Amino acid sequence: MSEQSLLQVKDLSVSIDNELPILHNINLDIKPGETHVLMGPNGAGKSTLGFTLMGNPHYNVTDGKIIFEGQDITDLSTDKRAKAGMFLSFQNPYEVPGISLSSFIRNAYHAQTGAPVKLLAFQKQLKAAMEILSMDESYADRDLNVGFSGGEKKKAEILQLLMLSPKFAILDETDSGLDVDAVRTVSKGVEEYQKKKDGALLIITHSTKILESLHVDYTHVLVKGNIVHTGDGTLVEEINEKGFERFIQD
Amino acid sequence: MNADLNMKVNVLPVYTYNFLHVNDSTINSSDIKIDNFSTPSANSLPNGVELKKDVSFEEAGSIFRKNKDRIMVSTGVPGEPNGDTSGRDDGQALRTGMGIDVDKLMIELGVKTDIFTVSENTKVSEPIILHYDMADGEGSLSAQVVHACKNSEVTVIMDYNSDKDASGFLGVSTRLLAEEGARITLVKTQLLGKEFLHFDDIGAACFDKGEVKLISLELGGKQNWNGCYTNLVGKESAFNCDMGYLCRDDHSLDLNYVADHRGKKTNALMQFKGVLMEEAQKTLRFTIDFKNGSAGSAGDEQEDTLLLSPDVVNRTMPIILCQEEDVDGRHGATIGQLGEDLLFYMQSRGIDEEEAKRIMIKARLESVSRLIPDDELSQKVQYYIQGIV
Amino acid sequence: MSENKQIVADIDRSLYDFKDVENEKDFYRMEEGLTKETVLKVSEEKNDPEWMRDFRLHCLDLYEQIKMPNWGPSIEGLDMDRISSYVRHKSDMKGKWEDVPEDIKNTFEKLGIPQAERESLAGVGAQYDSELVYHNVKDEVAAQGVIYTDLESALHGEYADMIKEHFMKLVPPTDHKFAALHGAVWSGGSFVYVPKGVKVDIPLQSYFRLNAAGAGQFEHTLIIVDEGADLHFIEGCSAPKYNVANLHAGCVELFVGKNARLRYSTIENWSKNMYNLNTKRALVEENGIMEWVSGSFGSHTSYLYPMTILKGNDSKMEFTGITFAGKGQNLDTGAKVVHQGERTTSVISTKSISKDGGIGTYRSSVTIQKTAKKAKASVSCDSLMLDSISRADTIPAMDIRTDDADVGHEAKIGRISDEAVFYLMSRGISEEDAKAMIVSGFANPVSKELPLEYAVEMNNLIKLEMSGH
Repeated sequence: MSEQSLLQVKDLSVSIDNELPILHNINLDIKPGETHVLMGPNGAGKSTLGFTLMGNPHYNVTDGKIIFEGQDITDLSTDKRAKAGMFLSFQNPYEVPGISLSSFIRNAYHAQTGAPVKLLAFQKQLKAAMEILSMDESYADRDLNVGFSGGEKKKAEILQLLMLSPKFAILDETDSGLDVDAVRTVSKGVEEYQKKKDGALLIITHSTKILESLHVDYTHVLVKGNIVHTGDGTLVEEINEKGFERFIQD
Repeated sequence: MNADLNMKVNVLPVYTYNFLHVNDSTINSSDIKIDNFSTPSANSLPNGVELKKDVSFEEAGSIFRKNKDRIMVSTGVPGEPNGDTSGRDDGQALRTGMGIDVDKLMIELGVKTDIFTVSENTKVSEPIILHYDMADGEGSLSAQVVHACKNSEVTVIMDYNSDKDASGFLGVSTRLLAEEGARITLVKTQLLGKEFLHFDDIGAACFDKGEVKLISLELGGKQNWNGCYTNLVGKESAFNCDMGYLCRDDHSLDLNYVADHRGKKTNALMQFKGVLMEEAQKTLRFTIDFKNGSAGSAGDEQEDTLLLSPDVVNRTMPIILCQEEDVDGRHGATIGQLGEDLLFYMQSRGIDEEEAKRIMIKARLESVSRLIPDDELSQKVQYYIQGIV
Repeated sequence: MSENKQIVADIDRSLYDFKDVENEKDFYRMEEGLTKETVLKVSEEKNDPEWMRDFRLHCLDLYEQIKMPNWGPSIEGLDMDRISSYVRHKSDMKGKWEDVPEDIKNTFEKLGIPQAERESLAGVGAQYDSELVYHNVKDEVAAQGVIYTDLESALHGEYADMIKEHFMKLVPPTDHKFAALHGAVWSGGSFVYVPKGVKVDIPLQSYFRLNAAGAGQFEHTLIIVDEGADLHFIEGCSAPKYNVANLHAGCVELFVGKNARLRYSTIENWSKNMYNLNTKRALVEENGIMEWVSGSFGSHTSYLYPMTILKGNDSKMEFTGITFAGKGQNLDTGAKVVHQGERTTSVISTKSISKDGGIGTYRSSVTIQKTAKKAKASVSCDSLMLDSISRADTIPAMDIRTDDADVGHEAKIGRISDEAVFYLMSRGISEEDAKAMIVSGFANPVSKELPLEYAVEMNNLIKLEMSGH
């Protein structure tokens, strides 16, 4: 079993800036091609898990391990995790003035592959990806996330997902704050990722909008820093109808 | 008695180009008549506040001198800013905005200090009100120390008045110590006559979570100097300042405000709103100084000045000094006349230009006067503003 | 592709820091110190007209009288008695590259000067220590009547009167101590005259190299852009590092005529033993435009505040600057503007970066005189602190003497946020590169104002500073 695991989280406990613990004994096992959903009410620690998996230095692993492709990456720096094939779509992507979106993606691509970027091919690929996401071409030359609306920022994250093609992607509240059309566009982008690569996904969300058109293998419910329940894709619908109350009472 | 004043005050924390003539200001006036050397009596003294009257200026500084090591806590990292002038005021018990020459004057002329001490954990709801009702030709110097012990709260209001055409002299020094968790609100309203010479010097120190809030309005007087230096020594200490001014005729206003961030997560917000008319001259120096070790601190200085005559002189020096990486410092200024868009909007509602100006003057000053935590005084000031416009 | 800037090859610091051993017998070097005798000797060397010799002596008097400024960085490490104010190669200035002495040619070739001239410049002047060693203007530019020559020959030629009329009129020697010093011992520099209506499409460039240890460079640049003309002038500076102080006290006087436009770009990369006390000033006539682009990376100590006098109605100025203060550096830089004409506009926008104990000070003044009705001025300065052993100070001043002006000012100080670094690292970029990328992005408003080669050079310099070597 574990041989073919892509990501394993073993008994993971996490605190922020060495203060109170947020996550307790989290266990996950994600295989290539699988889509996992992490749901839970606000403040349950969902984003904490995303940041921890990606190695944000403010989040301290107090116990447990993160294994990626059989390698312990618990102490690996963020850029090395990205190079190993991990990706995090941020809930609040950072604005970086002075660097255009396209040049940023090129830089990241170059950093991850070490290969020189073929400009024409790159531009063609970028254009195609932007079309899938109904992004206006002009965004490629705009400064990274600067002055982007909430929806545009999320699309820019998914654009990076498509361009960088990671083995494993965490989508942190990619649907929050978006209108119906934007959610549809974004989930089209995520479908595209599922389609073209045997990549795995961990979708963090507190609603179910983005999941409607996606195939889901497992659903985990996170409450107060603990995974209290794991089920299959149908759990999403149940939560959609009945909310988290059942799990909170547990 | 009569005295000659020859003081160098409001020295910039760092010197800049000399051709601008803003590095300091001079109070040079001979034969000033001074009748009075102590603070007027408070309306009533609230419970929990102890008043020690007529202490010598030097003696009154002992509370600061005793805490000097804490207040002037060394940052350990060398490297002064270019043109640093901080050594100049080393002789002060507590550094103030106008600087050491005020201390020298107070000591030389034997000015008495009133010390208000608010005991620990006492939250005084009634403000202490000091009315300065100045007669025509009267001169007065006075000094106060407000010492708020741990977790206490107090509001001190100083209200300077005279007939609107009166002349005279009023100089005040107010020094504040907000201990751990203490809050001092200081309100100063200056409605002096149009021939008055006036200066107001403030120094403050705040320990952990200590807070000083200053609400100040300079509306009268002929020549005015204000200085305020706040030592944000303790963790999470704060300085909050709202200042409004109106300067007209050939009157002048010279200001020097400094927030000295030494403690971690300290916060300063200084806002200046004013109007210059006729041949008025204003110089505003304001400085946010992030010393090494003030990690997590934020400072913001904002100025909004309305210029209403082609003959005004407006000088502004918004300084930010920084020796700490983890800080957030910002400054913004808007200086100019009434915006054309705004004017057009008002005119479209049937308001003519003169009326629009009156509305905007009132709006600026009343946004500060509204903050005065005493209804009677707040109304008096608003009435005064209306009387001018 | 300008977007490719972030991915640049590792930089070789030796690009600027190489030293060419100056063969003593090939060079004439004035004895150290400043006396009436040394000033007369410079004057004699330069074959000054009489008025210039008298002017030099007058300036020396002023230099002795004027006090040091009380507001700037310390210049205690600068001992005038140990500075030679005049060093030159014993050969004359050349108009052909092949004729330039071999050792000097090597230096400039390493700096890429002749190549740049072939590729993208209308003309080049190269100063080595105290004298211009090479001057050349492309034929088609010369055919338009553009004069680009060394100041000394211009003093004796057709434009002698024009020079006498303008020389140190904008920056009088009474201005400050080092303007007086400059007046006494100035040597080298360029004279540019662009006739009425002539638009020079590609930039002219001057490159200053101070190669001698313990020497001063005092070049004078005088540029007159006549009515309706248009010019872009680029200035580059570098020097190898020595253990003794070097001094640069140049002076730049720019006259921008009615409806004319001048852009003056500088990438200053003096070595870190240099005291850079440079004075630059522009006078702009009606509807003229003055644009400054200024990058300060080098020097031990800098005083640099290019000043613009907006004399004519509707004249404009734009200043875009960046300063990077690293280890051991005290860079006090900024801009000054005086609005005199009606409807004059100025925009000052600066960035400063402090690192490794460097002191970066932004200092400016905006003066709006009573006559400058409907003037508009806006200032924005951003500082970035990269650690807590450095300083980033912002010392602006505004002096407004009319109500009919619109003045805005914004300043911000901050650091590279951890979140931004984490975000970039989550895309596989190393911490060092992430920081360099954020700093390059911070500097981008300046680099995009520069011609591509210079933008690349600037990004290289940033990368070099960020790597901390």
